[in-house]
Amino acid sequence: LVGSDEGLQQKLAEAILREEKSFKISIHLATSLPLPSERDQLRPRIDLIVFVIDVKNKYSLKNVEASLAHVDASFFLGKVCFLVTGVGRVNYCSVEMNAIWKLGEVYSSPVLFCELELEGIRVATAQRLLRMLRICAGHVPGVSALTFASLMRNYADD
Amino acid sequence: SEKMQRRRSSKTPKQPLQVLQKNQTDLSAWRKEGKTDSAKSVWNHQSPKDQKNDNEQDSLEQALSFFEKGKSIQDRVSLKKSSALQKHLAAVETVALQSGLPPEGFDVLLNVALSGKLADTVNTRILKSLVPASVIPEDAVVSAVSWLCVGKCSGNVQLLFLRWLITVFDFIDRKEQLHALYGFFFSFLQDEKMCPYVCHVLYLLTRKESVKPFRVRRLLDLQVKMGMQSHLQALLSLYKLFCPELVTINLPKKAKTYFKNAEGPWKAAINAIKRRKQENSPVSQALFLGTAPPQSRKRKWNSQLIIYASSVDRNNLEEDRQNNCGDLCSQSLPLERLQTFSQLLHNIHRLEFPSRMGSVLTNPLLLHYMNCVKDESIYLRLYYWMGQVLQEECTWCVAGNSEYEEEFKDFLETVYKTECFLQEGFSSCEEFLYKTLPLWDGFCCRSQILRLVSWIPLSSFSEMKSNLYDPLSQLFLTSSLYFKCSVLESLRELLQNWLNWHMVYLDSESDSQGHSSNTTLSGLVDAVAELIHFVGGISTVALQLEDNATFLLYFILNFYETVCDVYLKYNLPLLIMPPAGVFYPALLSMDSVNLNQLCYIMYRYRTNLVAAKQNELSKKKILQFKFSSRTYQEYNQYIIAMVGCLWTSSVFQKDIHPQGLRMDDELLKKTTVQEFKTSFNIVYHPAMMGYAVLFLQQAWPDDTTLNFSLIKGKTWNWYLEYLYAEGLKGLKLFIESSISRVSQAS
Repeated sequence: LVGSDEGLQQKLAEAILREEKSFKISIHLATSLPLPSERDQLRPRIDLIVFVIDVKNKYSLKNVEASLAHVDASFFLGKVCFLVTGVGRVNYCSVEMNAIWKLGEVYSSPVLFCELELEGIRVATAQRLLRMLRICAGHVPGVSALTFASLMRNYADD
Repeated sequence: SEKMQRRRSSKTPKQPLQVLQKNQTDLSAWRKEGKTDSAKSVWNHQSPKDQKNDNEQDSLEQALSFFEKGKSIQDRVSLKKSSALQKHLAAVETVALQSGLPPEGFDVLLNVALSGKLADTVNTRILKSLVPASVIPEDAVVSAVSWLCVGKCSGNVQLLFLRWLITVFDFIDRKEQLHALYGFFFSFLQDEKMCPYVCHVLYLLTRKESVKPFRVRRLLDLQVKMGMQSHLQALLSLYKLFCPELVTINLPKKAKTYFKNAEGPWKAAINAIKRRKQENSPVSQALFLGTAPPQSRKRKWNSQLIIYASSVDRNNLEEDRQNNCGDLCSQSLPLERLQTFSQLLHNIHRLEFPSRMGSVLTNPLLLHYMNCVKDESIYLRLYYWMGQVLQEECTWCVAGNSEYEEEFKDFLETVYKTECFLQEGFSSCEEFLYKTLPLWDGFCCRSQILRLVSWIPLSSFSEMKSNLYDPLSQLFLTSSLYFKCSVLESLRELLQNWLNWHMVYLDSESDSQGHSSNTTLSGLVDAVAELIHFVGGISTVALQLEDNATFLLYFILNFYETVCDVYLKYNLPLLIMPPAGVFYPALLSMDSVNLNQLCYIMYRYRTNLVAAKQNELSKKKILQFKFSSRTYQEYNQYIIAMVGCLWTSSVFQKDIHPQGLRMDDELLKKTTVQEFKTSFNIVYHPAMMGYAVLFLQQAWPDDTTLNFSLIKGKTWNWYLEYLYAEGLKGLKLFIESSISRVSQAS
């Protein structure tokens, strides 16, 4: 999870870990990328990168934009997702919604909305992320991360 | 205390309107049940041990006396200099925030605040503390307006008064005199700063008789001077609805929000007081609701509506009844006088709707009226009110509302029930959904939102795609199994509503709520087809994600049960087969329920196709629509697979569908199934094997070896009868229609 609000990230991570699941999961929290290179060898495979953007905080968007530059191109084949929190204060948002939609388009990655400050929604969001993670880790036969991401972005029937 | 009793004596207690919780269609229940002296003012219900409250009442009385005696207040005395003023002002503010001001207090305070005698800071504080505990007497407001006309107070105070008036409009007990002051309000339009708020007030007050040519001209002149402002637009639109012949200019049909929120401290204070009252005195709660059971939760919006509804003074009501002039009067009939259905019928031409349209939602008589009389003005007013409430009370878009989620859920339920009653969706609801679905987390008010989705009216594919399909599919793909099933159910109802709408409305020329009358038959067919394709697509993915769960397949096949009969039941020239990603999982499902559903659906497809073919052949002229040969081909491929799978054990050889089950003999041998050429039919099908076992046990109870090959010839027929008796009606219909039996020697 990459995002500037550490408190919220922590809560979200805890919510994810509390969920029942049949696989082992480890969550790395970071405020920005790149990750420090010292621990590169010890790091497990990363299946999903979630960029957390707080709609009330212009800095969080800038932070994410800067971090995106450090992500390897292969991740954008379905292993990146943007999580926008602060929807509950839509009247106070200082970040343009258009900028966020554009970000999703440019990086071909899904954009999820939530309000992490509310517990019920936090739990529901944790569940959604877990389901995405299952697919990105290849646990669902017949559905790859790339297929899934393209379905999420633009549902086209064929 | 005694002083308060004296003040109160001039007003008679108001009767609350009893709103029932039952279904709207139960009309007989909607009658007033006798008069009870029930609506006592809140003061009577204070618990005797509340000494603090009593003290506050005393200090409020003193404050009111102080303000009443104008002489004791010197002109423009500043707050700092007069400690008495400070003390009394503080007393008023305390009581106002604690429990609201009694009706008697408004007259005094409004006079003081608007007469300009005191400094602006004092006036502002007074106005901000004008929180009503129950009702606001009309006289107080009228005299306040007269002060406004004199113009003794500053511009800011005037604006604040208008904002207050808009916010507490529904608490004013009567409105007759206010209606009479319409002209005075109208004259305030020339003040640029006041104009938006005055427009809002006029919007609430306007009735058909208020629309006069000179007023229309004035508004148009203002529009020329100030440009097209949304508040002017609102008023002009309302005028146009009442008297379309007077307003000939073109106005946009639907605008987003006409009036910006007249934000102020009153609303929050009113809500806080209501909640406090709920906690403290369940008795008064029951009284407000009539004879509601004590455990019913008082709804924030609903309770407001109950108070709003009584806009007629009870005294006049009595007199009128005695004079028997109710029916003969040419005046309009306020809704409180409506007690029976026959009254509705007699007075249907002169019903006056309440100022706050929301009370219509729970009123079965008014809903009937709305349904029969195509009065655009009602829909428009409801549109603005509902749009505003939905936007403001939405619990995930406004985080502060999360504690009131139950109430919001109830409100959404009521909207849904009303839509079911009227058999159409509200456009404000539709717009709300389009705005919030992309931001929705799929958790808050889930079932209510999904039900409301089913009433979205039909529009072009590109609109539906960006507004509904895209956000919904994002949620769908990342959600739980149950959410997916709920969405499918909701989309099935959406389809059904569109089809029903087609049956009812497309033949008649009229359309309601301004739905695009450009929807031709082909437009409808396209939109329905796109919806079906959308569902087919997400179902395929969902089955992969959920590992072909039976529960999910049930909902998917349920959807196709509606789809397969579109031609025969709804007269729409459309036939769409389920995609292979749905058909094959169903065919190879482990559960007989799904298999049975599939059989029924294929049977219905056959019936529809046969009927279509017959129509084609019998009609001399060329039909506009003809099912393409591709449709027949698809059907045939599926049928071959099904028959092969269930009957002739030949599916692996015969299936010609590109995504089908065709398999080489070599591969089949690897399964080590002994006689694969005869081992794949309804005896050996995994969904049916259970039945086969039970059948064998009943037919040969002594034989413990389960010899499935015994089921052939005559026994085969018994087996079929056994299956039909077990409730597999779909299977029966399919076999009897699609499989012609050649009599076999046993």
